[in-house]
Amino acid sequence: MALSRKCVPFTPFDRTLDKSTIAIVSAGGVHLKDQEAFNIADELGDLTYRVIPPDAAAQDLMVTHHHYDHADADEDINVVFPLDVLRDLEAEGFIGGVAKKHVGYMGYTMQLKAMYEGTAPQIANEIDKGSRADAVVLTGG
Amino acid sequence: MRGIPTVLITVSPEVSAQMRPPRALYPKGFKIGNSLGRPGMRELQRQVLRDALTLLTENTRPGDYVTREYPDYGEQYEPPKVKQ
Repeated sequence: MALSRKCVPFTPFDRTLDKSTIAIVSAGGVHLKDQEAFNIADELGDLTYRVIPPDAAAQDLMVTHHHYDHADADEDINVVFPLDVLRDLEAEGFIGGVAKKHVGYMGYTMQLKAMYEGTAPQIANEIDKGSRADAVVLTGG
Repeated sequence: MRGIPTVLITVSPEVSAQMRPPRALYPKGFKIGNSLGRPGMRELQRQVLRDALTLLTENTRPGDYVTREYPDYGEQYEPPKVKQ
């Protein structure tokens, strides 16, 4: 796998959690119900992503992904996209805040180069510009 | 852009390790689709997320993952193996 030969893109975290804003980026196929669903008909996968607002209600989120069993996420989205949990940690003072933007995408693709060189930098840019996140939690399915 | 610190929660640690994530937590025995735990187990979900975020403040080894056990999760599952 070509990716594994690259350097680990490690960015130091020089803050304290209780003063930090956290974003979620998930490959679990999460999106708002009123956003366009991911295209699971294309065997090559779907390279697009959806921006999720910080005040999204759990019942307004859903999963479109056909490469893992998301029955549990259908029941409680927090098992793959812990937005309510993040809000809990903000309420208890463990983190400083919930970022202004979170991202869902479908982490299944046969187009690895396009994912790595296109989608991933776009998502990073989305977080960097306007989410005000100090760190990101990544989840898969 | 100076980069964004990340921490991954993975239930496929061997598969994820191939990508050499900067920081990663493997909640041992959680099945695919249960990265934070089971539906409705909010305190467990909070603990997993606290543990993942805490890795940001610790001297972890980049490219490796940390395994934690959560007995409250219940039945354990084997993670997928990497095909040789």
